Amino acid sequence: MPTDTKRVRGPDVSQSPSLFVCQPADGVSPQGPRADGRRRDQVDVRPVFVRCGLVSQAKGSAYIEAGNTKLMCCVYGPRETERKDETDMKCGRLTTDMRFAPFSCPERGSWIQGSQEKDFSTMLQESLQPAVCLHKYPRSQIEVNMMVLENSGSVLAHAITCASLALADAGIEMYDLVLGCSLRQNGASYVADPTSAEENDRGPDQSRNQGSLTVAFLPSLNQISGLQSDGEMSEDTLTAGVRTCIEGCYKLYPLVQQVLSRCVSRAACAPPPR
Amino acid sequence: MAAEMRLPTIQKQGSMSIYGKGRKDLVVPGDIITSDTGFMSAMIISCLVRLFSFPHKGHGTYVDEDKLTASVAGEVERVDKLICVKPLKTRFNGEVGDVVVGRITEVQQKRWKVETNSRLDSVLLLSAVNLPGGELRRRSAEDELTMREYLHEGDLISAEVQSVFSDGALSLHTRSLKYGKLGQGVLVQVSPSLIKRQKTHFHNLPCGASIILANNGFVWLYPTPEQQEEEHFIVSFLQYINCLMALAAHKVLLYDTSVLYCFESSLQHQVKDILKPEVMEEIVMLTQQKLLEQKG
Amino acid sequence: MMAAVEVSEAEKVYILHGIRDDLRVDGRGCEDYRHMEIETDVVSNTDGSAKVTLGHTVVLVGIKTEIGKPRPMVPNEGYLEFFVDCSANATPEFEGRGGEELGTELSNTLYRVFNNKHSIDLKRLCISPGEHCWVLYVDVLLLQCDGNLYDAMSIAIKAALFNTKIPKVFISSDDEGGKDIELSDDPYDCMRLNVENVPCIVTLCKVGHRHIVDATLQEKACSVASLIMSVTHKGTVTCTRKVGGGSLDPESIFEMTEAGKRVGKALHAPLMKLLEQEESLGKKQQKVGFFG
Repeated sequence: MPTDTKRVRGPDVSQSPSLFVCQPADGVSPQGPRADGRRRDQVDVRPVFVRCGLVSQAKGSAYIEAGNTKLMCCVYGPRETERKDETDMKCGRLTTDMRFAPFSCPERGSWIQGSQEKDFSTMLQESLQPAVCLHKYPRSQIEVNMMVLENSGSVLAHAITCASLALADAGIEMYDLVLGCSLRQNGASYVADPTSAEENDRGPDQSRNQGSLTVAFLPSLNQISGLQSDGEMSEDTLTAGVRTCIEGCYKLYPLVQQVLSRCVSRAACAPPPR
Repeated sequence: MAAEMRLPTIQKQGSMSIYGKGRKDLVVPGDIITSDTGFMSAMIISCLVRLFSFPHKGHGTYVDEDKLTASVAGEVERVDKLICVKPLKTRFNGEVGDVVVGRITEVQQKRWKVETNSRLDSVLLLSAVNLPGGELRRRSAEDELTMREYLHEGDLISAEVQSVFSDGALSLHTRSLKYGKLGQGVLVQVSPSLIKRQKTHFHNLPCGASIILANNGFVWLYPTPEQQEEEHFIVSFLQYINCLMALAAHKVLLYDTSVLYCFESSLQHQVKDILKPEVMEEIVMLTQQKLLEQKG
Repeated sequence: MMAAVEVSEAEKVYILHGIRDDLRVDGRGCEDYRHMEIETDVVSNTDGSAKVTLGHTVVLVGIKTEIGKPRPMVPNEGYLEFFVDCSANATPEFEGRGGEELGTELSNTLYRVFNNKHSIDLKRLCISPGEHCWVLYVDVLLLQCDGNLYDAMSIAIKAALFNTKIPKVFISSDDEGGKDIELSDDPYDCMRLNVENVPCIVTLCKVGHRHIVDATLQEKACSVASLIMSVTHKGTVTCTRKVGGGSLDPESIFEMTEAGKRVGKALHAPLMKLLEQEESLGKKQQKVGFFG
């Protein structure tokens, strides 16, 4: 590629100025209400806006918005598998691809899928697979494409909910819906559905109980299809956290059901396509 | 709960050296076996054998400037004037009449593909199995459609080699009551050269276990049918499995007596301890002693 | 994705019944590990290395230390980089893309396992804040694969970190205010890491109504879902993850985390004892290396 020699070129590797901002020593105060007015130690999840069928080209699609976290999901398929060598005669394949838009985070990301995005894709796949009746789709594959438009915390949890809605919208047979919920433990207290500021808040140095937890839950079968945590937590905290997340998922359930049934009824009322 | 950790120890090569060192009949690729022209004619015989596309074994030899040279590492075998090198480590070279245990890998039209540890997948023809309703029943189109119900991908079967194709692939049959689909049990895989050729490869062992020591190195261990389940049945069953592993790890030939002696030697140990290197060595030593005593 | 073996339904029934009675195919109980052998300092060109043999699974870990620039968010800390290589050496299934996917999955999990303040004291890896720090490249090589890669890998990493010797460096400033890094001449003058808090991974496989640790490939084929937990010697959990295509009952997750904590906690004492024993034997001890 020809380069413009007259132009002063920046350094090969540039960094966002926000990285150099010193973090406030005490972080967000561990007491009192949260920045957005929600309560601590309560299953106080953000109000969620959900819609189905926004992408007409896709077999099924869904959009979810929780605070400033905005995600979009498209489902394509089922169709014949591309990778013939791994074709399973009895079972279909579910592939997931999760990407962050470069402008979705405070720091600009790359268009190339990074290892974190791959990690999220795997976890999304593992959380969704138990719910999908893959044995009904032998030799075919179902593709789930997730795009994070804006990241303001709990991305994976909302991605799970959004993807299961898109799968339902695409008419893929499923045992149950999959709902996701995240939690951030900070010392003795926790915040449900954390924002990105709360997720990155490292808190006082010495506290031992500190970490994030994401649970994917099948509400009517009462099964956990995905579980992922990091940081440092005692086993009791972890167990309590899982219980809290399940509660958080149940809070989402009526809304998600409502959106889907409305989507179905609209399709039923609509005039048949010409 | 237990997690036993330790430093690795250097294995004594002593027990091996009795057999290994100073033996002239062990060769590596490139070693000249003989330049005696008397044997050459034997080579020519073997060439003729090959030309007439008889089933032939991997000879493991080639002729280089009138010298018979080894092409694999292994043991030299002389049958009359024919010289072969039998490789120490090999895939299974089946012969007609061999007992094999194999796993179904594919269901095709009128045939199943079976993985038998040979170079190529073996074939089990629909016409070579006994279907319910008598041996002489005609195979109908329905039989073809229900093949997968009879044998499914992943299923294990015991069978006998019926014929060998010119490319070396085996054709199997299960036309005897002792062959067919295998039920509950455990498969242990060893090298085919560790299986001793015997009149029968089906054995009933004490403590309610039965064994198929198939020629292809797949050993199938299963509860003896129509036997009351004894109290310690499962434990002794597991004992057999671990004994097989121990014998295979120390390259002892597997046949009913060696398995039995190994089982007897292992009784003083807990089942899960058998796979520890030092216990394994001890048990195998005891077994070998017993085998020698029996011979002498 | 993981190297898999084929197991027929009848064999599965047999394995399931055995596990129900706390008797596995090789005679172990549900919470028993296979025989494990650990040796450190096996590769001379590394700053720390270890080889772990767990049944037929063999993992080799090499750690190289390099001087790099601290990350802007944490100018006074060094960092660790993980890379897991699943070569076709371990099993032909890893050839091409297959091994790559598993490798990324394993290394991503490792980043999560070490994503906390106490596993390794990263501040000790800082040479001069904002300018230089130590970067530890942890390279994991799977040499043989017979199930339970996660556990074997984490034990090998802990052993290799214990074995790691980071050279001492001095910072001298010249007249113009520039800084120079001087490496100590004495090869024995080196810094060691405190690995007390480094966690070990326990993989619990749900088979039937029970769970087992250290599953072989056959047992893994009978399981629909497993839980990965990394546990420190104090019983703190630094990472959990559900893997596999199935889902789990919340109650069984709680049972599994309880068991995972117990098993994981118990791994550390014998491991540290063994590492210290090997260290005390010093150079006199003959290395076994790759063909014990």
